[in-house]
Amino acid sequence: MDMSPETIVAMAAYSGAGICIGFGAIGAAVGEGYTAAEANVAVSRNTEISGDIFKNMLVGQAVAESASIFALVVAILLLFMDFHGAPLIKAAALTGSGLCMGLGALGSGIGSGIPGGQACFGIARQPAAMNRLTTNMLIGSAVCQTPAIFSMVVALLLLFLDFSAMPFQPGWAALIGAGLSTGLASIGSGYGGGTVAGASCEGVARQPLSVGPVTTTMLVGQAVAQTPAIFGLLISFILIFRTVPATESLAPAMALFSAGLCTGLGGIGPGVGNGEAGGGAVRWVARNSAMAADLMRVMLVGQAVSQSTAIYAMVISLVLIFVM
Amino acid sequence: MGELGRIHQLLVPVGGLRLAINLEVVVMTWIVILLLILFGLATSRRRSLVPRPIQVVGEILLAQFYGLTEDALGEDLAKKYAPMITALFIFLLFSNWLGIIPHLEEPTKDLNTTLSLGLMGFAVAHYVGIRSKGFKAYISEYFQPIFFMLPLNLIGEVSKIVSISFRLFGNIMGGSIIIMVVSYLCWNLLLPPFLNAFFGIFVGTVQAFVFTMLTVVYIAVQVK
Repeated sequence: MDMSPETIVAMAAYSGAGICIGFGAIGAAVGEGYTAAEANVAVSRNTEISGDIFKNMLVGQAVAESASIFALVVAILLLFMDFHGAPLIKAAALTGSGLCMGLGALGSGIGSGIPGGQACFGIARQPAAMNRLTTNMLIGSAVCQTPAIFSMVVALLLLFLDFSAMPFQPGWAALIGAGLSTGLASIGSGYGGGTVAGASCEGVARQPLSVGPVTTTMLVGQAVAQTPAIFGLLISFILIFRTVPATESLAPAMALFSAGLCTGLGGIGPGVGNGEAGGGAVRWVARNSAMAADLMRVMLVGQAVSQSTAIYAMVISLVLIFVM
Repeated sequence: MGELGRIHQLLVPVGGLRLAINLEVVVMTWIVILLLILFGLATSRRRSLVPRPIQVVGEILLAQFYGLTEDALGEDLAKKYAPMITALFIFLLFSNWLGIIPHLEEPTKDLNTTLSLGLMGFAVAHYVGIRSKGFKAYISEYFQPIFFMLPLNLIGEVSKIVSISFRLFGNIMGGSIIIMVVSYLCWNLLLPPFLNAFFGIFVGTVQAFVFTMLTVVYIAVQVK
């Protein structure tokens, strides 16, 4: 069997493409299904405006689809780009790229379906607030795709950068770790952002006049819920751009690989938890907007505490990268 | 399929640097600007109390975006910034729709276009923030809720630019790559018009609106 670097790079590109769109297709499909399910409930509650609910469902689903479109783009680039004469280390970069985008699309796909569903349901409850609900849904579900976009940035960096100066031995682990770090950390943040956006659509439907404070609280909540994904992005950048000395032993390589895995896995829980905290705050800002400032303070402190576990994971990653 | 990921560039040496100019994007952007001028002339020439259809289109567009900006920014700021927001939306809309015409390409398919529009929104938002709150209050925002949150707040601001511009870029480039690949696989039979309708017109409109609304919201967050 021919095992030249070129063959291995091609193998990595094909398997990366498969992983990328395979994982990437999961999230958006689940999210869009949720939107459709809520739209069914909404139509049966308020049959008179079924046309508007249907339109809103389609728009919501189109936005939720973005996450898997990003995965498709990276998969197609992996399949059709020309990697002739690329060094062996490019194989690791391509695998990392596929892993990053595939995993990264998971959470955002599920999350961005939630505001769509809640907006459909809200239109059935409160048809007069339809325009505000659609706008709120679009903003919320677009912002909760930010983690998937971070993953796309890392995936495109891994695809297009030239890694021929990087030594293969610890380098391969650093590049796959970079992909895993942002990809895994995006899962929780994407889903959490969706929870916040869904709660804000529910809140606007309950009290359309509170749309100002609700949107502000939603954006702050989502921004904080995205912090674990930003930690993942930070570790990915360190892993990609830091020059590592060539080595024969496997230990430094595994340290870099685990650094990516650590921040990635450690970011999932805090992302979901921050989303829950933000969702609770947004829901009650809508009911009692006079207390918006107090609610936001409680939300921020709660989120900071729930985020501490992501910080532990990042500290361990930094130790693995810089000390080991 | 070989043209995937390839860009036609004009390299201009200036001093020790090489300036890379993406020729197609420049030409396509000029086409969009031309179309915008024509649209503006068509909607505003020969105005009358009983409007012609094209005037109604312009009026609805302006009224909608004025309303949306007023909801988010309040009446005073809306008077100042609604024209910019509307112009941003029409520019993005025409840019995203341009790809459905054969041989023309969306300027928004290039990261440079979306990134510069994102930077513009960022600059406007921070300018409005400093103007309305004063410099001291603006700076102290970065130390909320506690002082050591400064680096995270800074990264958060930068990530806004990255996310807003990569979202538009990814969607439009994704759409055009999908159209290209599927058209190639089915020998350009039957499917391309539907794909163009979905990715060009529908997704293009939704993403133009999302970009515009996010710009408004980022300004609104700075004002409050």
